[in-house]
Amino acid sequence: MKKRPARTNRMPKNHWERKNYKWIYLFLLPTVIIFLMFYMVPIIQVFVTSFTRWDGFNSPAFSGLTNYINLFTSGSFLISLKNLFLWALIAMFLHVGFGTVIAFVLYQRKRGWKVTRAVFMIPNVISAAAWAMIYRFFFNNNYGILNSVIRKINPDFDVQWFYQSPWAFWAVTLTWLFYAVIVTLLVFGDLMNIPQELNEAAIIDGASGWQLIRYIQLPLCRSAIATGVICSITSRITMYEQISLTTSGGPGNDTMSLPILLVNAVTDYRYGYANAIGVVMFVIGLVMMGIINKAFRMNETDY
Amino acid sequence: MLTFKKGLSRGIIYFLEIFVIVISIFPLLWVLISAFKTNGEILGNPLGLPSSISFDTFVHLFENYNFPQYFVNSLLAAGVSTAASLLFYAMGGYVLAKYKFPGRTLLFTLFTVTLLVPAHSKTQPIFTLIMQLGLFDNIWGVTLVYLSTGMAMSIFVLRAGFMAIPKSLDEAAIVDGAGFIRIFWSINLPLAKSALTTAGILMFLNNWNEYYYASLLTMSDSQRTLPIALSYFTSEFSYNYTQLFAALVIVVLPGIILYIFAQEQVQVSMASTGIKG
Repeated sequence: MKKRPARTNRMPKNHWERKNYKWIYLFLLPTVIIFLMFYMVPIIQVFVTSFTRWDGFNSPAFSGLTNYINLFTSGSFLISLKNLFLWALIAMFLHVGFGTVIAFVLYQRKRGWKVTRAVFMIPNVISAAAWAMIYRFFFNNNYGILNSVIRKINPDFDVQWFYQSPWAFWAVTLTWLFYAVIVTLLVFGDLMNIPQELNEAAIIDGASGWQLIRYIQLPLCRSAIATGVICSITSRITMYEQISLTTSGGPGNDTMSLPILLVNAVTDYRYGYANAIGVVMFVIGLVMMGIINKAFRMNETDY
Repeated sequence: MLTFKKGLSRGIIYFLEIFVIVISIFPLLWVLISAFKTNGEILGNPLGLPSSISFDTFVHLFENYNFPQYFVNSLLAAGVSTAASLLFYAMGGYVLAKYKFPGRTLLFTLFTVTLLVPAHSKTQPIFTLIMQLGLFDNIWGVTLVYLSTGMAMSIFVLRAGFMAIPKSLDEAAIVDGAGFIRIFWSINLPLAKSALTTAGILMFLNNWNEYYYASLLTMSDSQRTLPIALSYFTSEFSYNYTQLFAALVIVVLPGIILYIFAQEQVQVSMASTGIKG
């Protein structure tokens, strides 16, 4: 930005701004109302009533930590925490890893990279509910394509992917595992921002292709990868359709997740308990974000 | 040796490209093809092609079930909420980008920090709010909730868009005697087109595909959006596979068509979901 000499119209401009304060605040009004209605008030309500016993009809009665104690002694809650932990690890390493690898593949600009990028997007533009449904059909034992293919090799094969015990967890995992296009776009964006001179300088210094990736390009898309990790773990915390429309948490509690428990509590009119789950989701999200920011040194710039 | 290595890495690249294309398209193609098969063909030969192409199933769905209604509901909920919130957040993003006033930083921080709140954690308060407003089991209740969903991202994208418009344009307009509204509507808004498209596409896709709140806030058949209708449909008619697949095609197609016509913008929009608050 060019530095300009001190503006001569500074006074009148300020005056103009002050004259328009009513417009400025009027323009902000809709956003502020939405913020208060759908964020501020609900969040306060969630936090406060998570310490109460509340059925939605009678007024909430303070009950201390009872809801939280009940949560942490409930089997289904502990299983959903374990599932979340496992899914977060899978998301962080396999899902983000896959997305990053594909970003590097695209960056090589070999034939077909544009088509690949365009097509990879498609699962993300259709509704997660429809995608969950497609996978329910895909894994179906009778007419699903997966088992039909397996039966070509082993005619006696018979597995109900979404309804049998160790498989359900992995079947749910497969509905999102490879669809990492957001990570790919983020990392690809960072790769495109690397100054060409930097790559050329490294090649002149005798760096091989792998060294170029390992020591120059990968470190430079650190913050995109971190953002990808945050996005993918956040969507694991709020994963609902992929479970509700396939296994609804079963078999047993094998694929239970926090949003499913929360919805069950709301429909049972156990509002205090539901909001305690909400608080747990909120806190897990914040803690995770803090850890990842630290781990990837997100606040430092590279260039 | 060098050429072998080169060939190997090229092979891996092509393998991964093909893998991505297959996992992204194959399930959809399978659904599309199955929608034209008979029940017997779907069960007997899941991999085969349909013996004849007929659109009877689709016509049947539109004539005998409420699919036109679901479609209109989805369009209303997603379209109205996107148009309204785009205007609201453009107004907010505009003054946050271009004017100095007390509370500016605080408001911007508050608006964007909402990105950190998992949408599902606010379920009960929003459920109760919509009940109290008398909008439960009403498509307008769902629309109202959708107004709020894209807030952080839209404010972020739109503010950046307005900041990129040179201030000298505003100053010239002031000298010419233009008022506050005119400077916003006729000068800044048209120039922020790309930010508006980015935010608009993202909000529309999200709201069109939304399932969680729509399933919680509606009950009766006439208020369902397409994704909700689909989930009821699959549980009620779980033995007519052709119809199930055809219903899936109807639900999935609009998003894909939108994407085909606005590929670049959709990709930009999707990448901006990763913007940090």
